[in-house]
Formats: sequence, C-alpha cells, structure tokens
Amino acid sequence: MDTLLTAEIVANSPQFRRKSSIFVDAIHDLPEKADLAPAQLYSTESGRLFHSGRIVIITVGLPARGKTHMSVALARYLRWLGVKTRIFHLGDYRRATIPFGEDMPDDYFYVNATASSVLLRQKIVRKCREDIYHFLNHENGQIAIYDAVNPLASGRRSLAKEFAKHDIETLFIESWCDDEKIIEENVRRVKISSPDYVSWTPEDAVQHYLTRISSRIPQFQTMEEKDLNYIKMINAGERLIVNNRSFGYLSNRIVFYLLNLHIKSRRTYFARAGVSVDADSYKADASLSDQGEDYAKKMTECLMAHRESEKQAMIDRGESGYELRPLKVWTSTRRRTVETARYLYERGYKVRQRSQMSQLNPGVCEKMSEKKIRAEFADEVAKHELDPYHHRYPRAESYHDLAVRLEPIILELEREENDLLIIAHESVLRVLYGYLMACNAADIPFLEFPRDEIIEIIPESYQNEASRIHIPDLPEEIIPASPEDLKIPVPPSGVVSPIQGLGSPPDGQGTPQSGYRTPSGIRTPREPERISQQHVEDVV
Amino acid sequence: MPSTTADHITTPSHSSSFNLRSVQSDESRICVVMVGLPARGKSLIAGKAMRYLAWVGIPAKVFNVGTYRRSNTPQPQATFFDPHNEEGERMRRAAAESAVSDMINWFHDDESKGVVAILDATNSTKERRKWIFEKCRDADIETLFVESICDDEDLIMNNILEVKTDSPDYKGQDPELAALDFRKRIRNYEKAYETIDDNEKQYTYVKLINVGSTVIINQIKDYLSSRLVYYIQNLHIKPRSIWLSRHGESEYNLTGKIGGDSNISERGEAYARALPSLLRKSGVPPNTKIVIWTSTLKRTIQTARHLKAETGFEKLEWKALDELDSGVCDSLTYEEIADKYPEDFKARDDDKYNYRYRGGESYRDVVIRLEPIIMELERSENVIIVTHQAVLRCIYSYFLNVPQEKSPWMEVPLHTLIKLTPRAYGTEEKRFKADIPAVSTWRGRGLLRSIRSFPLRGRRMRRVLDGLVAFVGVGVVGLNGFIGGSSIPKYCNFEL
Repeated sequence: MDTLLTAEIVANSPQFRRKSSIFVDAIHDLPEKADLAPAQLYSTESGRLFHSGRIVIITVGLPARGKTHMSVALARYLRWLGVKTRIFHLGDYRRATIPFGEDMPDDYFYVNATASSVLLRQKIVRKCREDIYHFLNHENGQIAIYDAVNPLASGRRSLAKEFAKHDIETLFIESWCDDEKIIEENVRRVKISSPDYVSWTPEDAVQHYLTRISSRIPQFQTMEEKDLNYIKMINAGERLIVNNRSFGYLSNRIVFYLLNLHIKSRRTYFARAGVSVDADSYKADASLSDQGEDYAKKMTECLMAHRESEKQAMIDRGESGYELRPLKVWTSTRRRTVETARYLYERGYKVRQRSQMSQLNPGVCEKMSEKKIRAEFADEVAKHELDPYHHRYPRAESYHDLAVRLEPIILELEREENDLLIIAHESVLRVLYGYLMACNAADIPFLEFPRDEIIEIIPESYQNEASRIHIPDLPEEIIPASPEDLKIPVPPSGVVSPIQGLGSPPDGQGTPQSGYRTPSGIRTPREPERISQQHVEDVV
Repeated sequence: MPSTTADHITTPSHSSSFNLRSVQSDESRICVVMVGLPARGKSLIAGKAMRYLAWVGIPAKVFNVGTYRRSNTPQPQATFFDPHNEEGERMRRAAAESAVSDMINWFHDDESKGVVAILDATNSTKERRKWIFEKCRDADIETLFVESICDDEDLIMNNILEVKTDSPDYKGQDPELAALDFRKRIRNYEKAYETIDDNEKQYTYVKLINVGSTVIINQIKDYLSSRLVYYIQNLHIKPRSIWLSRHGESEYNLTGKIGGDSNISERGEAYARALPSLLRKSGVPPNTKIVIWTSTLKRTIQTARHLKAETGFEKLEWKALDELDSGVCDSLTYEEIADKYPEDFKARDDDKYNYRYRGGESYRDVVIRLEPIIMELERSENVIIVTHQAVLRCIYSYFLNVPQEKSPWMEVPLHTLIKLTPRAYGTEEKRFKADIPAVSTWRGRGLLRSIRSFPLRGRRMRRVLDGLVAFVGVGVVGLNGFIGGSSIPKYCNFEL
C-alpha cells in the first residue's frame, strides 16, 4: 500500500487548528506562546509542576466507553491547573493516514493480522508516538494523553517499557463497562450521528455498531497488570480501582478529578443576575430593582421556551418520548443572584446557593469611578493593564484568586448530572466559561456576558459547544456592561470577537488602545454561535 | 417537576426575606467510618484526616470507640475481645452506641458546626456497618467507609511495636508482653472479620490494600468525599520522621528587613555547617534515606548546602516553599511598614491569618499553595524541609493541629531543628537547638518593636500568652526570655 510511506503519514498527520474565537472550545489548540495557566499556584524551574516529571496517560477500552470524553475532560482540568497537557487521538492519525472513503483493513485490530495490516498499524502508532516525544521533550509538555483502544496486555506492557526508556512515566486509564445501558447511550450520543447511519433507526444503528466493534476487536483484555500504574474506571465512575506502583502528586490528583467525572451529556446555562437597587455597592448586597425583577421574569421565560423548543426539535428528529434532563439552578449567596432565581424556584426547580460563587471582591475600588481609580491608584492601574488576570487592586481579588476559589465549583460542575443554570456575577461566569471552553487565561477578564443573552454549553465528547440565546425585550440600559462591575479598565463593550493580541503584553499593548468602555454600549449584533464538530467519530 | 428536598432549597419567596434565610452550608455532612483489623493504621489515618480537614478549615472530629470502651474497662485482657465473650461483646457494643450518639449530637449542635466526623473503630462486621449506615442515614448524614487491609506481617508487627505499645490500653506495661497480648487480640478480631464486599456495593467506600498500593473507590457521591479520598490515598503508615528548619540567619534578619532574597549571615553560615551534625544528633536510624526540600530562595539553599554535600541526599527545590509574599512591604523593616502603611499594620494584627499584604499573600493563601506540598509530604518518607518562618508555621500547624487564629503568632526560632514523628495518637515533637546565636524574628501581637510597646494590656496580652502556651504545650523547648522579660530580643523585626 502506497499510503504506508512514512513521509505521507507525516504529511497527513492531524494538524492542530489554531484558536480563532473564544466561542470555540480551545482544548485541542496549540497555543503559540507559553500558556498562561488559569489556576496555577506555582511552577518549578523546569516549567513543569509539582516535580512530577513527564507523564503519558494511556487510555484503554473498547470504543463507546467514553475514552475520548474522559481524555478531553482530563486535559481541560489539567490545563486549568497549569499543567501543560495535550491529547493525541490515535483515531485522528488513522483517519489522516487512510485515505478518505477507504476503509481500514478488516483485520486492523486483530492479534494475528496480516503483515500489511501490522505494518500499517505500526506506522500509524509510530507517528503518533513521535509527536508525543516531541511534545514532551521539545515543547516543555508535561502530560501527553494517548487516546487509543490498547486492548491487549502485551501491547500495554511494551508501551510502558518503550516510554520508560525515554524517562517518561506511564499511567493507564481504562474505561470499563458492563452496564449495557451506559454503552448504548454512549453509542447513541456520539457514534451513530455519522453519515453512515443516516437512514437507520437508532436501535438498529446501535446494534449494528456494537456488532461491528466485537467483530473488529475480538480480543479485549481488561487491565490486571499489577506491574503497571493504572486506574480502572468501572461503569462511568461508579467504581474506581487504582493500582498504584509509583503514583506521584499528579496521578493522585487525576484520581481525585475522575472521582467527580461522569460521561453523561448535560447542558450548562449561564445567566447574569438582574440589576439591583444599589448596584455599585459590593458590600450592600442589595435586592433586585424593578428592572431586575423584570429581567428575572424574562430570563426565566426565555430559558423555558428555549428548552421546550430543544425538546421539540429532538422529538421531530425521531426521538419520540425524548425528555430533557431535569434543570437545577445554582446561584451565589449574593441577594440579587438568589432573587433572580425566584421565578424558577416558583416553578419548582431546585435552587442551590454556593458561597464560593460570590463575585470578585473589588477591594478598595468599590463604588469608585474609573476616573477616581485612575487618579488615586495610577500605579495599580498600570499594573492591571499589564496583567489583568493576575493583578489585584488593594484589598481586592484577582481573576486568578477567583479561579482558585472556584475549584470546588468546577469539580461539582463535572459531578452534576442534571442540566444546570448558573446565575452569577459576570466575573464568576467569565472564570467558569474560561474553564469549560479552555480559554487562554489572558482572555478571561475580557469575556462578555451581556444581560440579554443566556449562554448554553453543550458537551460533545470531543469538545464543548457554546451558543447564545437572546432574551428579547430588555431595556437597552441594563444590557451591555455590568453596572455592578468593577469600574476598572475594561475594553469597549462593543467588542464581540476575541480581542486580538490581548495575551501579548510585551509588544506594549497589554490592553486595547482604543479606550475603555464606550458609554453608549453599542454592540454589534451577533448570530448565535454553533461550531460544528470537526472531529469525526470512529465507526470502527 | 423536580422534587424538593429540604436541604439545599431556598425558602419560599414572596417576602423580602427571600434570600436571607437561605445562607446555608452547601457542604454535605459526612461520617467517615474506619474499617479494619487492629494495627492497620486506622487511628493514624483518622487523626491525619481530621488534622487535614481542620487545616483547610473544615470542622472535623474523631470519635474513637476505644476511648468510650476504655472508660469502663481501662486495660482489658485479650480475651475481652473474643467474639464469644458475651460480656466483652456487650460492652463494646455499648461503647459504639455512645460514640455514634455523641457523634450525631455533634453534627446537630449549632456551635460545633460539624461537617466531618470520623468513627475510629474496627467496625469489622457487616452487621455493625449496616447499623452505622442506617443510623447516619436517619440523621441525614452521608457515610464513607474507609477500610485498611494489610497482610504484610512485618508492617503489622512494626506497627504494633511502634504504636500499640504506646496505646493507653498498655500504659505502664512491659512492651514485649503488651505486643504479645495485642497479637492475641488481633486474632480474636480476625475470627469475626468481614471485609467490605460486593454485598455492600451500595455503600460509598474506599478500600486501601497494603498501604495504598491498590485502592478501590466505590460510589463517591459528593465533592467533599472525593476530596477526602484524594487525601487518604496519599497517606501511608510506614514509620518515618519529618525535620523542619528555618534557614540560617540572613542578612535581612540582621537589618530587620522582611522578605527579599538575601544571603545568609556569618552566623547563618555557621548554622548551615552545623546542620548535618544537628540532624545526626536528633536521631536518624542507620541507612535512612532523607530527602532535602528547600524553597527557591538563596537563604534556604545556602542553609542546606553543607547538608547535601556531606550526606549526598537528594534535594528538591519548591517554589511553593518560598516565604509568604509580603508584596509592597517586601524588603522593608517593620518600622518602615508601620510608617508607610499604618492601617495595614493594624489590620494585620487584627486578623493575621486572613490579612493579605498589598500585592502579596495572606497565611490563608500560603495554606492553599502548600496543598501539593502536604500531599507530597504524606506520600514521602523521611524529609527534611529548610524553609521560612511563615511557611514553617503553616506546615507545623498541619502536623500539630494548631488552630488558625494561633498559628500565625507561633514562635519558631532560628537555628533550631524540629523533628516530627507521626504516631497513631498524635505527632511527637522534639527540638534541637544549635548553639549558634541568632536574632529573634518573633513579634508579638500589637508589638511594634521589642520593648517599646511592652507590656501589653488585658485581653491582648492574654491572647499572646495563650498562643505561647499552646506552642509550648506541644513542644519540648522552653520559651525564650520574652515572658520573663529578661532577654528581650534586640532586633524584633516585623516578622512575616
């Protein structure tokens, strides 16, 4: 086969796309410069954290066991912690190597495959592995996630040996499932949306897919290798078995994260709190104003209508009897966020208050005008402009502080199995959105959540998707900025696209030159974003 | 429509008090139930988990069933633990009942605000576990079973000799006889022991097999449990010690400046040279490997230099061990700070634990950044840490359970090596003073500099004394001359 030439494999290997918009989940991005870690607490001189060295996480499990979902979620969390992490999906390499339209050989996964299939397999794996070495050795990477089936113990042992030769630790994570329901749901959700199954009924498609897997990969050995470091996740986190040969800090931390992860798909909505009576005061913790009440009502109606239409759309698509997941509401303990949830509460939805979700503490800048801040804290303003993510005003919190404080919320967010509406201050929404969409930390302080939009985030196994739902008929003056927000330099609120060059203060343009918040609050109209999935799921 | 459970729901609306009654704890309440034969490190794990939780600010308490039983039978014979000994069985059951009922009261007591209780007993039968599970469920408390399984005979015997012969049950008895009796006691437990198995898979549990080399984690249902499991997973029960030392006296110490990255002074260098022999003097078992940890600042690296050269021990530098960042006050003397930032100076005295320097850190911030250090320390065996005053206070407080309001005021003198050895019933502390003079960097609350603000009045003074007494209570060194007023330190810089 001509396609086996290594040169071609190199030419065809997956290209990581560059980040183009903050509305795209950046989890598969290759940042050009050193990442600014959202919640990094400190680093060591090597740039790698916790004296942990370099680790390859190797997934193990048949298709439709949630491996890709787990890899992506884990990468998201590790990057959030500041650990330089990248995912290598072997499937991407396979697809890049086998020409479009051509099937892989039937015996591709067989133990006793033909020579040509073995060769093909080896070449694909080799290219993937070379990329992993390059990332860990030359790009200061700390964790590479190698996402593949790895069905045989012998193969796993030789992988571990191979990486050990390069002084790289291995940690295997197996997704193991004996609950047919979980497997079926997974197949339905991520596997049979492919063009191959267009005219099939979901039931037939699931059956066909599962039969194909078992004929393709007849042999699968669950992990029992006591000499390897592994974590076996049983039935999507119901039980974890940890075989700890030499777990370091990060491996234990990964177990901690996995204990909070599930593979169910659910939506997260973000909404702002309504305007309050004494909006500028942080300490006053005022109640909603009449306009705020009006907003709370309209936001609730809008969300309800949206969910109803989503449900209808699913039923129209042939999923008769489709039910939405129940909705839960989280608010901070601040009065106006709780009061914004009132109409949802009256409709019978559970409302939970989370003390960690209170807004960025503005410190001494509370109630001060921008002009006054500039006059009184000129040096602080200058520092802030250089690093808006880490800088804190006197007695205030930085976004970094807020991110560290929000870590329990992030883990509970992963743990939650119901749809979730988060009503919080813009600063909190920025940080949570930054986590879910893997935003560069430098962009986080500038993310925008105008009051007339509810953000909806839908997790797909390969990446998250964000879209914005417009809340109609709100008075113009409550929409653009946050009246209760910090009166500190922020870019013009008319800016919609990500602000170019924000992350590169060295060129002397730490923040946009074009002035700060425009008083008129004019915004460019925007279409709801929906980014189509670029990664095609494996139909093995 | 979603059902409503009382717990995390806001109160009905309509009134203006819509949000007022709703500020409630969103943490679940958890009873950690230890499971395992004696000498498997249960008390050690229980005690450590309790200290860890307290250290991160979560109210936690250990309920040791043995203590309840002991109040009736202070020093029982092994036969007392024979499951066929009805009298013994009845008394042990009664002890468990009083412990569980005290625990539930503790959870419901508004003053203690209990979040995590740890029930330390063998809880070795399914029947007993079911009983505890139901008791807790009825009281709206989650249960987390933590089973420690160990079949390494050496480790068990070691644990018996190291730990159990210190146990209150054997106070004043011959250690050899005590160990023998204890092995008998274990055999009695073994007769009735049932490990957690698939019939109990509805429970949330963790099984630690042979000191965490295999861990099975089942049905974790909330964040706090996952965090506890994460912590417990890092623990081991092998005997070891941890040594703590500040850096040798620095040039900044001499001039009374705080922070910075200065070199050590001549006397500091003398301490660095004396450190290897001081460590030996503190008692290091033969063939013990110790890892040296320092911060990334010059003064700690210089202090550990000779130790590393003489012993060849491995050394790691941690940014997380760097001194509390004093922001704009870095490299100032206390007098300059009081001059330039009088309000800050006062704010810091009022709440030192939470006070955050402008552009710098608070003690609370330091505790957060030390989390990986604590986890790593728990995973490690023998470690000597050369670091800075504020960081050392935080680490020390973790091991010796010093409350947040006292830890920032603790005195940790220069040129002193502290040896901590974890034991089942607490951490043993020994201090070894190098005979090398150094300035004191300790500043009492309200003190600007040395004698000028002395004496303190009333309540404030008492609080200072409380802090000192607590500090002495766990240590073996005496106070410096401060209380007696005989040798007020000449330099009393504004310490971090």
